Amino acid sequence: MADPYQPRSPFAPWDRRELPGMFDVEESARRIGNYKWAEIKLFEALGGWVATVPELDVKMRLGTHCYKHAWHSELWHKRLPELREMNPDRLTQPPNDAMVHFVEALTEPEAAEQTIEKLVGVYRVFIPHFVAAYTFHKNNTSQITDAPTIRSLHFVLQDEMDDWRDGEMLIQSLLRTPDDVARASAHQARLEQMMLDAGGIAGPGSIGNPYAAGNGATTH
Amino acid sequence: MSATGVTVTPQRFQFVHFDAELIQRVAESLVAALGLDRPVVIEVDETTPLARIDVTIDDAVTIRVESGAFEDTRRPRHQSEQATAASLGRVLLRARDRLLGGFGEAPADDRLTLAQTAAWNAYCAGRLARLGVHVAPQRWQYDFRNRHGFHDLADVAFERLWASDGLTWGELDEISRTAQHP
Amino acid sequence: MRKFFPVEELARDERFNQVTMKERMADPRSGLPSAPGERSRSNRLVPSRPDASQAARALMHGIFVGEIQALEGAGRTCHDFRTAGDSARRAQDDAHDGVDTDDAVPFALKLDMARQAWDEARHVEISVKLSDWMGSEIGEFAENTVLFQAACSTDPILRLAGVNRALEGLAIDVFTTMKEFGDLAGDPFLEFCEDWMLADEVTHVKMGSDWLRRVTEHDPERRKKALEFQGVVDKLFSYGGTRSDSQESPIGLARRFRELAGFSDHEVEEIAEVSLAALEERKAAVAAMQSAARDVEQLAGG
Ligand SMILES: [Fe+2]
Ligand SMILES: [Fe+2]
Repeated sequence: MADPYQPRSPFAPWDRRELPGMFDVEESARRIGNYKWAEIKLFEALGGWVATVPELDVKMRLGTHCYKHAWHSELWHKRLPELREMNPDRLTQPPNDAMVHFVEALTEPEAAEQTIEKLVGVYRVFIPHFVAAYTFHKNNTSQITDAPTIRSLHFVLQDEMDDWRDGEMLIQSLLRTPDDVARASAHQARLEQMMLDAGGIAGPGSIGNPYAAGNGATTH
Repeated sequence: MSATGVTVTPQRFQFVHFDAELIQRVAESLVAALGLDRPVVIEVDETTPLARIDVTIDDAVTIRVESGAFEDTRRPRHQSEQATAASLGRVLLRARDRLLGGFGEAPADDRLTLAQTAAWNAYCAGRLARLGVHVAPQRWQYDFRNRHGFHDLADVAFERLWASDGLTWGELDEISRTAQHP
Repeated sequence: MRKFFPVEELARDERFNQVTMKERMADPRSGLPSAPGERSRSNRLVPSRPDASQAARALMHGIFVGEIQALEGAGRTCHDFRTAGDSARRAQDDAHDGVDTDDAVPFALKLDMARQAWDEARHVEISVKLSDWMGSEIGEFAENTVLFQAACSTDPILRLAGVNRALEGLAIDVFTTMKEFGDLAGDPFLEFCEDWMLADEVTHVKMGSDWLRRVTEHDPERRKKALEFQGVVDKLFSYGGTRSDSQESPIGLARRFRELAGFSDHEVEEIAEVSLAALEERKAAVAAMQSAARDVEQLAGG
């Protein structure tokens, strides 16, 4: 029988987690506040659109996805006080005005004939940017000090990937003519341009160095 | 009214947007398709949205029908040609079954059990479908299951009734009775 | 996207035909078996009714479209009301429509509404499957849009009272009736599904009961107004006596489950009263419409 008193390495050979991370507590909280704000905007939009889309399958998916993003915002809401932000509302903010404009443009389509635009905004622009920002965060934060955020990011990313696929398939099933394709790409390009101005879900540096010069200059 | 003609009352409707001529046309084509040998009198009770139908057979076949039986369920108070054909077709087939023989021992309509009614309806609906009248099989299967049970034996019995022609009352009743005991 | 969405614009594909409560009530025909003040045979939706399967199919379709509207209502609540503390949204709202923006709701309330949206989406899925099982087609019956209409107040507290107490309360009554129907008929899917949906609906009513209490804790006037509004909606949702304690109504009042969901005995009694009143009013209205029609007939005839 193995000797239980024999010293063992505190990190098993297969546990390669690293201590250094790209974000300090304050930067982590700032990002998470941005995530929470953006997830709220997303679930509000999805909830609002349910009544406006005639396609029954899309209607049901929007209702289902609405909840998932609400739950993500709740996870971030609960994480904020653990990052020394005792007033979560203070950091529940867009990273900059450009992001506010992006959300305004995202939620502009309302007519029953605009399901393509609604879905493209969410599933070809907004959610891919969530996936990017979350993946960047997960891969760059300290694997040891920020384990609670990483755990949430795993859950959230799983949802985002599932919903992204769901949404993309709905879009593909709705694109029936060259005109539909043109509409989808034009709307995507317009929103992508605005997202470029915003710099991503957490502003410039969403998928790059958060401390680089100029980043976060327009932060609220 | 001719020897095998159809009359419809009322001719003008007040509570519903029904068309007496349409009812007549649908009934005439069914009477012709079924080869009924006597006049048909259709009296619509438009004061109720329920869908009961009473039939008496003597020198004429008299059908007292509540407006719901001819109604377009999508558009309340409007008539549906499909529903008109399905409702009339079902009771006319039952009338013909009684007139042609083999149904002598069948109880009067108001003495039929719910299971017997469901079985006879399934038998009628299947034949109507083959006549080209739109009837949804699943709807009648659900009705049959409610009266005979939700099990395979009932489903097999339903299939048999649906596919049958020329059953006697005894055969129909036997199928219904055995379907109730899995 | 507008802040409040009009009932006439609820988006549906071409299979659906929508009718308003007003159109429904203008129907001079009546399936009610007796005159005002009289009580007669049972009309309760039970398998022993000769038209049971057709009536159950029609009610199931009503549930299906009701779930769509509940989904839409819950989704709209996520969207229409600003989260307390959302300053960017406040600025946006102020800049826009000029609709009163003093309607922030707690973040946790919106999370509950989002959860409800998911639940209602599942209920739509369940209802589609059940309707198919019962032999119905999507859109086979007219869709009454009264649920969304009555439930979409621009005041968040009234909306909560309308959606989560009146509408969801009605859902409890309907599901209880359907569950019993499925149980008696031996339908393996109906009873199973209704039981699951009933669990969700009790949760939704409870959400409404809890939030109504919390949000109006220091505002008795507002609470009173909300409860009065709920009374009006409850009466409307009795559909002229379709739901009441009377055996003449196809759908009964599910007292035990309502209790679980946070309705007090007194509240249940009140709903029992307004729904009976709705039944009597409907009978009287039908009697009046039918006698007017007979008068016209006599004039025309003679
Ligand atoms: Fe529901
Ligand atoms: Fe509900």
